[in-house]
Amino acid sequence: MPKSRLTRRRLLAAAAPLAAAPLVGRFALDEGAGAAGVRHAGHAASGHAAMIGETVPAVGGPHDLDELLYPPPALPYQPGRVREYRLVARDVELEIAPGVFFPAWTYNGTVPGPVIRATEDDLLRVRFLNAGSHPHTIHFHGIHPAGMDGVFEIVGPGEELTYEFPAKPYGMHLYHCHATPLKKHIHKGLYGAFIIDPPEPRPPAQELVMVMNGYDTDGDGSNNFYTVNGRSFYYAKHPIRVSRSQTVRIYLANLTEFDLVNSFHLHADFFRYYPTGSSDRFEYTDTVMQCQGQRGILEIEFSNTGTFMFHAHQSEFAELGWMGYFNVVD
Amino acid sequence: MEAGARARSRELAGRLWALGPVLLLAACVGLFVSTGSSLVDLIGRNPPPLDELDIRRIELRPGEIRIRVTNPQADPIAIASVTVDDAIVPFALDGPREVKRLRSSTIVVPYDWVADEPLAVGVTSSTGIEVTRAVPAAVETPTASAKGFLGYGLIGLLVGVVPVALGLLWLPSLRRATPQWLAAFMALTAGLLTFLGVEALFEAFGRQAALPGGSGGAGLVLLGVAVSYLGMTFVSARLRGRGSEVGGMTLALLVAIGIGIHNLGEGLAIGSSFAFGELTLGTFLIVGFMIHNVTEGLGIAAPVAEGSGRPTLARLAALALVAGAPAILGAWIGGYVASETLGVLFFAAAAGAALQVVVEVGRFVARRAPGGLTSGHAVSGFLGGVAVMYVTGLLAG
Repeated sequence: MPKSRLTRRRLLAAAAPLAAAPLVGRFALDEGAGAAGVRHAGHAASGHAAMIGETVPAVGGPHDLDELLYPPPALPYQPGRVREYRLVARDVELEIAPGVFFPAWTYNGTVPGPVIRATEDDLLRVRFLNAGSHPHTIHFHGIHPAGMDGVFEIVGPGEELTYEFPAKPYGMHLYHCHATPLKKHIHKGLYGAFIIDPPEPRPPAQELVMVMNGYDTDGDGSNNFYTVNGRSFYYAKHPIRVSRSQTVRIYLANLTEFDLVNSFHLHADFFRYYPTGSSDRFEYTDTVMQCQGQRGILEIEFSNTGTFMFHAHQSEFAELGWMGYFNVVD
Repeated sequence: MEAGARARSRELAGRLWALGPVLLLAACVGLFVSTGSSLVDLIGRNPPPLDELDIRRIELRPGEIRIRVTNPQADPIAIASVTVDDAIVPFALDGPREVKRLRSSTIVVPYDWVADEPLAVGVTSSTGIEVTRAVPAAVETPTASAKGFLGYGLIGLLVGVVPVALGLLWLPSLRRATPQWLAAFMALTAGLLTFLGVEALFEAFGRQAALPGGSGGAGLVLLGVAVSYLGMTFVSARLRGRGSEVGGMTLALLVAIGIGIHNLGEGLAIGSSFAFGELTLGTFLIVGFMIHNVTEGLGIAAPVAEGSGRPTLARLAALALVAGAPAILGAWIGGYVASETLGVLFFAAAAGAALQVVVEVGRFVARRAPGGLTSGHAVSGFLGGVAVMYVTGLLAG
């Protein structure tokens, strides 16, 4: 335990100059977000269960996480087209809950990392620079050649590697660092969503990405905070506005370390859940469970307008930050 | 005249010289501080601060939890997040958010807690370090009220004054005892006081260990023991006057004071444990303490019986009050003023006082008892005193 703290603090010191460095990569989030919401005085809200809006202990302004929530648009099927991304591993201290700073290892400065999207049979080219303090890799889920798996090809600090392979199969996937110790490299934040669109485009929808995660801030092997897209209670403070007239499609992945499963529960409605998004088979439900690394696609046609909660159905996770709202409008 | 002036100036120079080491020390410290961390850099790297706030007190009020935290380390710690039973809760602060060394802050959480069920609060620093403290069973923290005041007073009366007074009633029986038996009872007094002293010392060290690091080490206990031991020595010297020896009523008064200081600590322990919801104040516990403390009355009665005069009932009652009434005061202090440092000092003082009285009683037995300290009556009386306290202590445990 003390060892992990030591590492944590060293990074904390090391991250300070990096925080001021210019952003690399077009999918990086606004860096200032980490320092935003500096002092949220304790709010004596009326009741915990009713936490919504400005009384919620969450970091940041209304559009801070838009880059992570709204994926880049799907492109039409065009085999052989090159899709280029640039990912830079960096040590950044992130404010994950008001006043709580986590010395994270990130892809492009955010946890989770940027959404990578391609259409099946696109040639995906991901240039990876390790600007962090430890060796890292990118391990993509999906089908690819042996040398592109991000397990044996360790990228040391200051080194670069370009991953290149045809994107397949279609579905909702993920990517994460596979350097050892694996648990450490994942829970410190090196992961993100990886969407491969089918040759036949999915019907138009309001598309959202949600990566479920947790943070073990005191190094005791269990999470202190849970979030979707990196900040606890963020979508309770800033509800996600969606329209009732169009399907809401959520690309959902679980990258929570330490806990066996995480879950997504929608209030007051049902959705179609396509496991891994790799076939037309779905379940009609309001609660899905995902083990670590599992993912899928949800499609919701909201029946009513209003404010509806969504959260992990593990009450503990919900009350430690994995809770938010949809604001459904006409 | 001139020689005298020279001698005076030499004396002055000698005194000024005493300032030399102090000034040189200041210069050395200044030099070291001005080099910053470069000395540490020669060796390696300081580990990061623990950033663990110390949760000192949890008060449960209707619809509200108040958590008092103290920063035990040199670097300041900022309070960032608060949980109750592993759920993040909104909170307000009565005190600073960034808590400096040995400073405290109170976190106020509006919370609908469930009576009689366990509860755990967690406080997370800005660096993400969470400390938790459990409340075994949630009960409302008593606040100052006339009824509560009376309650604590009655507890103190029951476990302090009443048993000591009852123990004193053995006086007529003790008067008829042979000198050998009287010596045995005096030794018994020494035995039970030794037991109380050791117990108090252990308690003082235990409480001291639980204090935040900067609040003084084991030396705090030594301070308490020394002050009370020397204070008791002073009192006994004043009581005995010039030349005469301590015995009879005077020794009984010393024993009563020693026991009284111990009962102050005992009352404090009962009061504070109850206030923190750590103690079930059942009939059994009170009965246990009563039986335990009856022997203290016997301890005071023994030197009275040994004395020549016949004390008035008023003087006996005064002895019972000196020995027993501090339990009432202790219960009040423990119930309403939660100062851990005070608790340490009380128990250390109890240890010092008890040990000093053991010395007085020991001297007395050595001088007056047939066969002195090593007689079979004295030895078995002492061991009997320890054994009786041990056995009756089990009842109060």
